[in-house]
Amino acid sequence: MSAFFNIQSLGVAVGGTEILRNITLDFANGEVTALLGHNGSGKSTLLKALARQLSPKGGTLSLNGTPFSQIGQRDFARQVGYMPQHPPATDGLTVRELVALGRYPWKGPLGRYQPDDHRIIDQAIDDTGLGSFSHRSVDTLSGGERQRAWIALLLAQQTRCLLLDEPISALDVLHQVETLRLIRSLARKRGLTVIMVLHDVDLAARFCDRLVALKAGTLTADGSPHETMNSPTLESIYGVPMGVMERAPGHWVSYVH
Amino acid sequence: MSADTTAPTPKLPASTLLIWTLGLVAVSWPWLDKMSLITLVTASAAPDTSQFDQIMVHYSWAPRVAMAVLIGSGLGLAGAVLQQVLRNPLASPTTLGVESGAQLAIAIASLHIPGLLVFSPDLTAVAGGLLGTGLVIALTWRLGFSPVTVILAGMVVSFVLGAINYALLLLNGEFLGHLFIWGAGSLVQNDWSQFQALWPRVVVLTIGMILLMRPLQLLQLGAGRARALGARVTALRLLALLLVILMTACVVSRVGVVAFIGLAAPALARLLGARTLQQQLFWSTLIGAGVLLLADALAQLATQWIGGSLIPTGTTTALIGGPILLLALRGLRNDHQAPTHTSNLTSNPASFARSRRSLWPPMLITLMLLAIVTTLSLAWSPSLAGWQWTPPSEWANAWQWRGPRLVAALLAGMILGGAGTLIQRLTGNVMASPELLGISGGAALAMVALSLLGISAGRGGQLIAGAAGAAVVLMLLFLLSRRHRFSGHHLLLGGVAIYVFMDAGIRLVLSKGDTEAMKLLNWLSGSTWLVTGSEAWALALIGIILLATALLCSRLLTVLPLGGATAQALGVRVPLARAVLLLLAALLTSAATIIIGPLSFVGLMAPHLARMLGQQTVARQLLLAALVGATLLAAADYLSRVILFPNQLPAGILAALVGGLYFFWGLSRHGKA
Repeated sequence: MSAFFNIQSLGVAVGGTEILRNITLDFANGEVTALLGHNGSGKSTLLKALARQLSPKGGTLSLNGTPFSQIGQRDFARQVGYMPQHPPATDGLTVRELVALGRYPWKGPLGRYQPDDHRIIDQAIDDTGLGSFSHRSVDTLSGGERQRAWIALLLAQQTRCLLLDEPISALDVLHQVETLRLIRSLARKRGLTVIMVLHDVDLAARFCDRLVALKAGTLTADGSPHETMNSPTLESIYGVPMGVMERAPGHWVSYVH
Repeated sequence: MSADTTAPTPKLPASTLLIWTLGLVAVSWPWLDKMSLITLVTASAAPDTSQFDQIMVHYSWAPRVAMAVLIGSGLGLAGAVLQQVLRNPLASPTTLGVESGAQLAIAIASLHIPGLLVFSPDLTAVAGGLLGTGLVIALTWRLGFSPVTVILAGMVVSFVLGAINYALLLLNGEFLGHLFIWGAGSLVQNDWSQFQALWPRVVVLTIGMILLMRPLQLLQLGAGRARALGARVTALRLLALLLVILMTACVVSRVGVVAFIGLAAPALARLLGARTLQQQLFWSTLIGAGVLLLADALAQLATQWIGGSLIPTGTTTALIGGPILLLALRGLRNDHQAPTHTSNLTSNPASFARSRRSLWPPMLITLMLLAIVTTLSLAWSPSLAGWQWTPPSEWANAWQWRGPRLVAALLAGMILGGAGTLIQRLTGNVMASPELLGISGGAALAMVALSLLGISAGRGGQLIAGAAGAAVVLMLLFLLSRRHRFSGHHLLLGGVAIYVFMDAGIRLVLSKGDTEAMKLLNWLSGSTWLVTGSEAWALALIGIILLATALLCSRLLTVLPLGGATAQALGVRVPLARAVLLLLAALLTSAATIIIGPLSFVGLMAPHLARMLGQQTVARQLLLAALVGATLLAAADYLSRVILFPNQLPAGILAALVGGLYFFWGLSRHGKA
């Protein structure tokens, strides 16, 4: 069973500074993974490399066994969806118009939208609970709703994989949990591979199958929440003495000593 | 890191010394045949009055050199202060409207109140400079002088004042000939009186600027933090701006517009490694003087080579300053130096948007307006016997005179509306337009160059040259912004550079003051009366093909404003898509520029109006913007024909005036939003 993403000794440098060093990693099909690490550890960079947003200095990346370099731009966009950390201003687009852009990889600049496309778009809007907002301008939505609109765009893109860069960093606790729950259930329902950068290790442990941690551009921890949520591992990730309580099965609370 | 805060790199003094040496050698070279270096120096101070050469040195050469040094250092310092105040590496007195304001004031004074000029040319220029800058400040007051806004407002003020100035020149060309040369910045001196009048002012203003040094340093932290440290940011900025205006206006009133020094000197200083504010102010002053010396030497050499016609120094500064400016733009590596912390102006294009409406009502209303304008234009006109209707039976005859120019104006408007929409979407920047990006400027510059070389290529040749010019500007924008992936601000800043460059070229041609210059002036201000019927129909064909292509690209144009990352994630090959669309925009722009000149603001206005009429999606906005543009320029063409009857105003100037007013209004709306 080949992995969805395969990373072989990846190195990334930006402006002469090495950000990622010799990373070798697989991401399995249908797995929900959180990328953890302190600021500047390279987790966003790793995500961007997976999304082909930057070109690596060394190493190879492949998707379902095919090297990235052999995949066309639109073909890639039909398989991998990426949401940047700060979604851009949307210039007056309505929710539906934004979500409809998710069909671009399938239709290109000129292809007409068929009834099927409209059905997919409506489904994506429904799945994210934005039905009543579908004709509102995205700029007028609240932060949580806007985040859901962008997730709906990824759904309309019908990719097998979502790459999310800090999808909950700008939200309050309620919306953080709601968004993660949504991502989790969509992943289950549609069998998606999800890789997201998260800051909150407790939420990550609760909603993800696997936690991957980076430190100074190298891999420091990789495993299920059970394997990761203990004080030695967390200390090695964040560099501060930390403790962990398991309040209930699968619910961890970490704290700083 | 901390060691180099005080010590400048050795590159800086070495390069400054080199510039000065070059400048001094170049300036004194022609005289060294006739006398020794020592005689040259002593004659500058105390000439042997029995020798004509020494008298020339004392009364013409030496004051000119002194003037160049004085003005160069003054403008260099003023530019450095201005760039610090606005936190913008591309700010200069030119971009604040000081120079165009002063120039307009002197033009008006010499036409209507010549007594004022006898009384004090200084005062007139300062008043004009204050007017120009006052407009800019008033416009940007509520936006807290955010850098991009100030530059944009300054440019539009320059555009509008320049348009008025050109209109005055066109209507009174025979009286204002000398202003051509003055406007281009001539350093020719007859005695020491100008220098003696100027140096105390420069010294006083310099001291004022030095006193502001420490508070200005706080501005480096950004307005918010400077305020937190107890600086009265707005008052500080105003005071510094006032000093800069006074300095510039004093210089302008003596020698005219010496563009680029205030821009190039600080940019050079920074490129060579001046980091702290003290270093920047100090070295900008020295480098400014050196660069102007060099430029003046070039101007004198060029004048000798060409023989006869005078090459003003202000144009050679552009020759030196242009490349430096482009270097500076390339050096803007990270976005921190560029004005990225924008106001809501560029970051929220939707603030121009109203609620959505259906396409048909505004479309029909615009079409009706267009029909009314067309009918009026064909039939209702003033004659020597008063206003009268042309009966429909004679329309066929009238068409020969009124038809081609009307069709051409209408089409140019349509094309500009389309091009504006395209460029605004492409850059994701609501203030972008062919005019502000310097694309029309590039087309104009190419045609100016044609005339400068003495080639009268006719209209076909102009057309080709213009298209090539627009293409070159676009290539430049490509190269400049490739590193920044075509981010909106870099495109705009590149446009500023090209606009200033073009302006210097135009001044150079105008300073010749011959009939060719007059013809050029006519074209630059968008005189539709030169258009023939076949040209109009050719334009129609080109325009419709290009606009149809743009419509086909509307989905791409929806995706691209979401940013490179998102567009790429959706499978768009971003560089290719941008290249194709920019090429399309260049073709549209040059087609329109050939008819209406580079100065109209239709490319800015029409897309905005379309949005305000409720058309938010690309295809609809494009369609309505084209129609609105057509109506605007058709109306401008009609009005320009009748408003000063029997004289004619160029339609482009009229459009620029209306467009400028519109821009001010839009800007103040942004302030509230």
